[in-house]
Amino acid sequence: MYEDYTVNEVRDQKRRETERKSREAAKGPMDLPFLLLVLLLTGIGLVMLFSASFPSAYYETGDATHYVKRQALWAAMGLVGMLVVGKLNYQRFRGAAQPLLGVALFLLILVIIPGVGITINNATRWLGIEGVLTFQPSEIAKLAVIVYFADSISKKKEKMQDFRAGVLPYAIILLVFAILMMLEPHLSGTILIAGIGVMMMVVGGMRRWLVAAGFGGVGIAAWGYVKLVELEIISYGAGRINMWKNPWLDPLETGYQMVQSLISIGSGGLLGVGFGKSRQKFLFLPEEHNDFIFAIICEELGLVGACIIMLVFMLMIFRGFWIALHARDRFGTLLVVGAMTQISLQTFLNIAVVTGLIPATGISLPFFSYGGTALMLQLVEMGIVLSVSRQIPAPRNA
Amino acid sequence: MPNQPNRKSEEIRRVNRVIHTRTFVLMLVMSVGVFVLLFTKLYELQILRHEELQTQALDQQTRSTEVTASRGTIYDRGGNILSISATAETVFLSPLELAEELELAQKGEKEIKWTRELLAQKLAEILQISEESIYQKMERTYSQYEVLKLRAEEAVANQVREFLNEYEVRGVYLVTDAKRYYPYGTLASHIVGFVGDENTGLYGLEARYEQELEGQTGLVITARDNAGNDMLYAYEKYYDAENGHDLVLTLDTTVQYYLEKNLEEIVHRYDVANGGVGIVLNVNTGAILGMASYPNYDLNSASTIRDSKLSAAVENGSASLAEMQLKQWRNKALNDTYEPGSTFKILTLAAALEEGVVNENSTFYCSGSTTVMGQSISCSGHHRGQTLIETVGNSCNPAFISYGLGLGTEKFYDYMEAFGLMGGSGVDLDGEATGIFIDESIFTELDLACYSFGQNFNITPIALIAAQAACVNGGYLYEPYVVEQIVGDDGTVLYQHDNTPVRQVISEETSAMVRECLEYVVAEGTGSNAQVTGYRIGGKTGTADKGKTGDVVVSFACVAPVDDPEVMVLIALDTPSRNTGTNPSGGAMAAPAAGAILAEILPYLGIDPTYSADELMGAETTVPYVTDMSVSEAINRLENKGFSYKIVGDGDTVTDQTPAGGVVIPGKSTVILYAGEEKPDTLCSVPALVGKTPAEANIAATNAGLLLRFSGATGATGGTIRVLTQSESVGAQVPAGTVITAQLGDIAVTD
Repeated sequence: MYEDYTVNEVRDQKRRETERKSREAAKGPMDLPFLLLVLLLTGIGLVMLFSASFPSAYYETGDATHYVKRQALWAAMGLVGMLVVGKLNYQRFRGAAQPLLGVALFLLILVIIPGVGITINNATRWLGIEGVLTFQPSEIAKLAVIVYFADSISKKKEKMQDFRAGVLPYAIILLVFAILMMLEPHLSGTILIAGIGVMMMVVGGMRRWLVAAGFGGVGIAAWGYVKLVELEIISYGAGRINMWKNPWLDPLETGYQMVQSLISIGSGGLLGVGFGKSRQKFLFLPEEHNDFIFAIICEELGLVGACIIMLVFMLMIFRGFWIALHARDRFGTLLVVGAMTQISLQTFLNIAVVTGLIPATGISLPFFSYGGTALMLQLVEMGIVLSVSRQIPAPRNA
Repeated sequence: MPNQPNRKSEEIRRVNRVIHTRTFVLMLVMSVGVFVLLFTKLYELQILRHEELQTQALDQQTRSTEVTASRGTIYDRGGNILSISATAETVFLSPLELAEELELAQKGEKEIKWTRELLAQKLAEILQISEESIYQKMERTYSQYEVLKLRAEEAVANQVREFLNEYEVRGVYLVTDAKRYYPYGTLASHIVGFVGDENTGLYGLEARYEQELEGQTGLVITARDNAGNDMLYAYEKYYDAENGHDLVLTLDTTVQYYLEKNLEEIVHRYDVANGGVGIVLNVNTGAILGMASYPNYDLNSASTIRDSKLSAAVENGSASLAEMQLKQWRNKALNDTYEPGSTFKILTLAAALEEGVVNENSTFYCSGSTTVMGQSISCSGHHRGQTLIETVGNSCNPAFISYGLGLGTEKFYDYMEAFGLMGGSGVDLDGEATGIFIDESIFTELDLACYSFGQNFNITPIALIAAQAACVNGGYLYEPYVVEQIVGDDGTVLYQHDNTPVRQVISEETSAMVRECLEYVVAEGTGSNAQVTGYRIGGKTGTADKGKTGDVVVSFACVAPVDDPEVMVLIALDTPSRNTGTNPSGGAMAAPAAGAILAEILPYLGIDPTYSADELMGAETTVPYVTDMSVSEAINRLENKGFSYKIVGDGDTVTDQTPAGGVVIPGKSTVILYAGEEKPDTLCSVPALVGKTPAEANIAATNAGLLLRFSGATGATGGTIRVLTQSESVGAQVPAGTVITAQLGDIAVTD
């Protein structure tokens, strides 16, 4: 008993020691470059949203600032949320991992129950009160996957190499989420969540050949699919593929969105038509303040402006991963990897769709696209990154 | 045991290393890799495909409204409008909308004041189209645009508008359009030409000068949103419409009128099978004053067959409408070639004189035929001994064969080239045909013999008259032309025809000698029917055999005044009837018409007549005003002027006179003076004079109480002189003493 006591005592001491260290570490400063880059993107995002959205806001509601006012409010709340989360000790998020996963699962099931979710354009992706406050459970699911995977993978260590422990459970979670989201249906959300999850598994230490096989398999499957559609062997999704390859086949119906997007981007040229002077936003380009806001950016600011904005994104992503590399522990690293994968993957997919690099799917551009709850959650995720940044150990020789 | 923590930290380190490495790779991929990929795509779209996509963007972001340019006007040389554009309105209906309206009315959702029947009946009435066609168009309910009437006139359009307003019809519309009007209708139809449904020139000058006439359509470009609203603050750009240029022609509507009138008359009089052609040319510039081709057509309805022979052919099915349309649209003066016959002798004569083959003292004996390369060629007469001038006056074939042979094949061919016969005249009208000649390498003396009197080769009338003009104007070959100037919308002259001659073919002296010969032809020879009192005319007749069918092309070329040439006239009739009582020859059929044309256009062109003493005796005199004078004074005045008189009544004062003062009548005519007696106001009936001898005609006119004056070949004598035309038609009721003009001509002339 004595020995036990001592052991317990020692353990307690050790734990207290760790917590003390952790608290002390948590008192470090937030990563200033990252914080500034996030603020910069949020600011530019709001300005560009105003420019892109005022015509449709005016035509639809009579108030040109209709969208930007709401987005600004959400951005403000998001920034507060980011700073609050940034102040938290991220170690505590471990405890939220499983409940968050449960809540996400619950909401994903809730949204597909007929009559509960809100349906827009044949997709039931939203919960809440239409026109007042809506959000996508898939946004919560992303957060849940990031936190849960980071917590779980960081504990597995070398077991990640084991298929049953390192792959199967995560694959099952992703599969369940994917099936639920495809029922909405929500292809882009599914791709994002799968992408985030898979990346975290890869970074977490999945076997190399599995990684290679996985990426190779997905690559070959995608290539094969496009080829089969081209050869007219498969017709499923053929319209989407054909419109992607040449939207001018049907410029007024199925190819309209893509044609208008390419026209917007192309007409911008090197220097653009000038800030606020887009003509495509005058009801020509649909979704100009949502998924296709980048096309208006390209039109107004040209290749130069678009590249500057992409450069800011790049710097932020770079700094984010830098934080991941310097994080105090694996959990921190994986949290940041998850959050940064989400932002970077979403940014890439959005611009790739808008420029016609990949077939169209509805992915919004982080910090730019209209959508309050999404913006807020993105900022909260950035809060997580900032939280991790505060516990980066100071360089030894300093 | 001591190894355990080490092993454990080793494992952790390895795990952490994997995580670090993979995070690092992910960082590079998601920042730099992705950026490069997206940059390439953006570069492609914004730099490489910028222009293509920008064009598409502008296409949809802007609205361009067309501002139609007004098509240029075509003027004759006196400023008379031959072709002009005016506003017209096209009436069309939208069967779709009409059907929708009717459906709404049927459902009782809307009240309409009209019915299908009313619409069809009213529109048919206003637009002068069949009700049936309107019903047919209303049936096409898938369509929104069915034209009822293309370019209706303003008055008609207003009627349609009134009707539509009254019955509140939705589905019938009017759009403003431009319509081409040809104020002179048939006049110069082949030269002016016409436009198609799209207002672009199809024929004649309208087609040839399409670019100059059409102008530049203007544009107003305004920015618009996708809902179609103009965004005026964004930008607006104007491209002014540039109105078409005007054409000023050398053509003179008055000359053209007389030319066409006379041509059409003889085509009908001699029942000409294949139509006729006439050209009036200014010999000193090449300016075409008149150019007529028959059959002709009305420019305001170019598709309608005008000539009764052609329309009969369409009706009895022997020819299609399209064939006959093409036929009436042909400008025979340059689209077709013909064998000129003896009028070509002018050129042979000029070349032979120029080369010294003959001179004014040459003589020639005609035995009635001649033999070349074993081939006997006969003459129209047996002229025996002739001087040079007589060979021309007799149109003696053997004489001209000898002139041609005297030149030799090579020189003869050179002259044909020098006269511009090979390359065409270069007239500024579309579709000039090139002549058909035997190649120089196989040009034999027999060919030359036939060529000498204008047979066995084909040329266009315009090329011929240009060459003939060169023979009489001092030797200068001019390119014939019809467009004198092209004038811009603001009045600036954009083009002015250059009158420089192409070359001098013969000398002034040769030309003068040619003129002398030609004057003899009209004064004493085969061309006497072309005489015009008071004018010195030179000319040459021509009757060309069309193969061995007996059909001929008769023609006449003349120049006036022959001592100082101004105008040249060429008239040709293709295959006149042999059964009209007139010998089918150029002298009998074409020369009188050419004379009549000259008689009318020479005074108009400001060329005053000069009368010889002989002519003065028979010249016309103006009746003096003698009413209210004493009878004796009146008699005195009339006698002074050479009139005889007749007094009716026994008063001392002339109360009335016939003809009235100021009227021009032949000298030596009788003037009736009424002294107290009432002038009978009965009308006289005009007797038939055509076909009568001058003496017979005179008796007939006098018996009818009318005065007669002769024109045409008044100087000619002989038993074959007949009245060809009369100024008042047979049976017309005219006041007593009216002067009837009768044109005389020799109907038996053989060229």
